[in-house]
Amino acid sequence: MDAVQHLMAGLGAAMSPGNLMFAFAGCMLGTLIGLLPGLGPAAGTAILIPLTFSLDATGAIIMLCAIYYGAMYGGTITSVLINVPGEAASVITCIDGYAMARQGRAGSALAIAAIGSFVGGTAATIALVVVAIPLATLALKFGPAEFFGLMVAGLCLVIGLAGKNLMAALLMTVLGLLLAMIGLDPVRGAPRFTFGLPELYDGIGFVPVVMGLFGIGELLLAAERRETRMIEADLKKWNPTKEEWRASAGAIGRGTVIGFVLGLIPGVGAIVPTFMAYVLEKRVSKTPERFGNGAIEGVASAETANNAYANASMVPLLALGVPSSPTIAVLMGAFIVNGITPGPFLFTERPELVWTVIASFFVGNVILLILNLPLVGLWAKLLRIPFSYMCTGVLIFCVIGAYGLKQSLFDVWIMLGFGVLGYLLRKLDLPLAPAILALILGPMMERSLRTTLEISAGSFAIFLDRPLALALLTIPVIVLGFMLLKPRAFAPVRQADAE
Amino acid sequence: MLNRRTLIAATGAAALAGPAHAQTFPRKAIQMIVAFPAGGSTDIGARIVAASAEKVFGQPVVVVNKAGAGGQLGFTEAARARPDGYTLAFLNLPGINTIILDPERKAVFGIDAFIPVINQVLDPGLVWVRADSPYKTFADLIEGAKKNPGKVSACTTGILSDDHLAILMTHEAAKVEFRIVHFDGGAQQITGVMGGHVDVAFDNVGGVFKRIRSGELRGLVVFDNERSKFLPDVPTAKELGYPTIISSSTRGIGVQKGTPPDVIQALEAGLLKAMQNPDHIHKLEEAGLGFKPMVGAEYAKYYADLHAQAAKYTEWALKMR
Repeated sequence: MDAVQHLMAGLGAAMSPGNLMFAFAGCMLGTLIGLLPGLGPAAGTAILIPLTFSLDATGAIIMLCAIYYGAMYGGTITSVLINVPGEAASVITCIDGYAMARQGRAGSALAIAAIGSFVGGTAATIALVVVAIPLATLALKFGPAEFFGLMVAGLCLVIGLAGKNLMAALLMTVLGLLLAMIGLDPVRGAPRFTFGLPELYDGIGFVPVVMGLFGIGELLLAAERRETRMIEADLKKWNPTKEEWRASAGAIGRGTVIGFVLGLIPGVGAIVPTFMAYVLEKRVSKTPERFGNGAIEGVASAETANNAYANASMVPLLALGVPSSPTIAVLMGAFIVNGITPGPFLFTERPELVWTVIASFFVGNVILLILNLPLVGLWAKLLRIPFSYMCTGVLIFCVIGAYGLKQSLFDVWIMLGFGVLGYLLRKLDLPLAPAILALILGPMMERSLRTTLEISAGSFAIFLDRPLALALLTIPVIVLGFMLLKPRAFAPVRQADAE
Repeated sequence: MLNRRTLIAATGAAALAGPAHAQTFPRKAIQMIVAFPAGGSTDIGARIVAASAEKVFGQPVVVVNKAGAGGQLGFTEAARARPDGYTLAFLNLPGINTIILDPERKAVFGIDAFIPVINQVLDPGLVWVRADSPYKTFADLIEGAKKNPGKVSACTTGILSDDHLAILMTHEAAKVEFRIVHFDGGAQQITGVMGGHVDVAFDNVGGVFKRIRSGELRGLVVFDNERSKFLPDVPTAKELGYPTIISSSTRGIGVQKGTPPDVIQALEAGLLKAMQNPDHIHKLEEAGLGFKPMVGAEYAKYYADLHAQAAKYTEWALKMR
């Protein structure tokens, strides 16, 4: 087949010492970017674009892509160690990853995340090679109406399946949706709930909110417990046990599929697949009560989905020239600066470049694994740092991260405010995940609904005319209906109890 | 630190240049505030000119991205900076105009907050459809829209964007009415039209000309007085009998009101030189950005005329909401 031939040639080029070095440097830088909260993949890639000006186009692109998925992995490390998601897509990893760290299993969590990321990333790249163009074209059928259906279904699934208490989950979802209303109205452009502050026109920044709810909230809780040391368990054995392997294998497989499929649809974002993979894992698990208390499948599914998504979201970029997330948009900008306009014509105009870059995804995933596995023990040892120092360090880390996002003190205040809120919500035993998902999905849901209605001139009948949208919209009805009729099936699942 | 170093540099330069005419501006690094995120097409143009200007001024020209609220945050910060020529505002027209003109945005700066110094890029408006669209020409589209008033859907890159204003100009000039769909940026337009969810896109040349050249999309009309260098086969609205539909997205550089005239002069001369550098022009064109230098009175007139034009259509748009 043509693609395979091209890919082989590409692999040859990607393995050249120069390109290998770029991939390696990118993975390193990306991991560091992922480690720093606030400096997510989008901002990190943007900052490093000038670095690539002096490189040749292929090397530059390889490096930027490596930075992108390196950052996706790096975010895991802080999530597991200190409950601060280094980048948005690692939010879910906090739930079970941090619980594992508190049990002294940080090593296993990080190792399984590295392996899951590798499998997800590599499998998604293989799928990319095989089906990129036809699937990308098919994904175009996914219009605003279907997008709205997907968002509603995603939100309802998470509420219905993730919470231990439906009322609490609904309450937090509404809180998230209310927060999502802040900012400029997406269609009319009028400010809502902004109190005349232009800083609020784009809505409340997601990263400061998450850093506050998780990171700062956790610090407050720990301070209240008068914790002296984070972890006391044995940190030497970092490799996952046999049981952990068995538990994770299925999660990695399912995470890959979810991440890949959602990666094909432009605009979904990296967080939705991680939530969905996590919720699915909890659903299929025979022991769902372990989730939130350090279930390794929880970490494996989210991290795998995250990286499968990252690689799959290259499909719309390469096959259609459509950036599917803010980070990919920055990457696309970098492509353009380097004289390459992504799009279907790229496969015919510059095949050697496209295939070298695709091949470098494989190489990059291997490098990430090699880079990260040996470091796992080192990261885990960080937990030995006495809590009083760790606490100060985390606080500084969070403040710098929030400030660095837009060089704005406003975000620091947002983060601190949400830190207090996070502390209170945890005290009240309310789940944070539905609020976060609602905050992310809210604006996308609203925009897609209103765009759909603009297209249909205000008629809701458009949802009946589009089978896929209709199907997606019936999922939540079924799930919620089932929950009301058979509440037992969803009955109390013990969840993240800090103690 | 910076002061001492620049002092030494300045004395060095003065010694080289001879005793009489030591260069007085710039004596330190210049910041250029870009109101859109790094990596976007505005940012790309800004970075290209910044790199070229550094060589002319002999001082760093630092691009500072202050994105948010459709540019409002960056423009606000630029407007508030000290008027000494060391903080340049990268101006997106008509984006800055519609922010000022929409009373709900409560902008703290007016159109006179900036003195336009030099324009860099003009990216003309463009209407495009899918290659297999029944609308082969702009005339077909207008005819279709006349037959089915309010049924043919046309998408923008956002409310009160230049594309939105261009649709309103078309409504007025051709006496038609499209069903307006606001997307969030060019990527959504491409998925929307290619996926068959929307009929036609009002957009700009820069983002899609390669797809039109490759035959994936079809360009119907360019809203400029002359044909686009990137799409020489696509007719202008003027050729098709609609001379009043003139729309584009332009980017230039301005300074705050109150900046000393000699500083403005130095900036204008230096930036013009930087932009005329063949490398600058080449890199812009690689990125699909049409080079359109305008300085002094020409740019000031353009700036004022555009504001008046934007005022009219913004008022319409606001009435519709």
